[in-house]
Amino acid sequence: MLPSKCPSCQTQLKVKSLLCESCHTEVSGLYDLPLLAQLLPNEQDFIVKFVRSSGSLKEMAKELSLSYPTVRNLLNDIISKINNYEK
Amino acid sequence: MKNKFRWNLLYNPFTKIAGWQAFAVGILIVLLSGLIGSYAGIAFDGAIDTHITENLTIKESFLLLGIDIVSVVVILFIAGLIISKRLRFVDILGTMTLARAPLILLAILGLIVTPVSAEEIMSNPMAILHNPGLVIFSVISIPIVIWFIALMYNGFRVSTGAKGAKMIVGFIVGLIAAEIVSKILIFQLF
Repeated sequence: MLPSKCPSCQTQLKVKSLLCESCHTEVSGLYDLPLLAQLLPNEQDFIVKFVRSSGSLKEMAKELSLSYPTVRNLLNDIISKINNYEK
Repeated sequence: MKNKFRWNLLYNPFTKIAGWQAFAVGILIVLLSGLIGSYAGIAFDGAIDTHITENLTIKESFLLLGIDIVSVVVILFIAGLIISKRLRFVDILGTMTLARAPLILLAILGLIVTPVSAEEIMSNPMAILHNPGLVIFSVISIPIVIWFIALMYNGFRVSTGAKGAKMIVGFIVGLIAAEIVSKILIFQLF
């Protein structure tokens, strides 16, 4: 999983360079991580499961063995986090 | 790790169970509490009240529990709507009903208590100490009531998804209002 936070100071990481595995061309710069990549691995995993269950919180609750409001609260936390990143 | 998990479930089962499922389990325990309470002389006469009484019929016991649940559910649902937009009535109904589960222990404890009349206590307050069942009931009831209120708090927190001071104030004000409403309804009906 792509790290999103600095292991030393917990600041949001940026992409400094990208490499083409085919011709070994390296693209350097300072790029922001995509929005979803900025989330924690467990939050990214939650979003993948949410999409796979066609956005059904009831199905998610069954799969994660959690109650419906708990799953909805997890989703709300991720929504707030995304809103903060976008600001 | 496994023990910690179980402890968390006792304190906050609502991460795992809510809605109709919690209501079904909760109402079964509440009905049993009412039944045992009527035999043991334990009246759940308020949203967060329990008193030792005499001559409590099964009908009265169930009616008191019905008033308690309706008061708590309706008032905390209104409080929840004020502090949170995403709130399902069935979650408040389920979590608040299941939160009353510890009260069955008070009903069972009531079986060992011999009531002391108010007149007797007024004439001799030490009479309470000569009733071991009453002393045990009083001591054990404290952690049970704390557990009951902690469950209601967690049920409200999970159901509303609210956080911080807003949620805490909403819960406390809602619970006090539910207690007042339940007392008024009981006073009107009995």
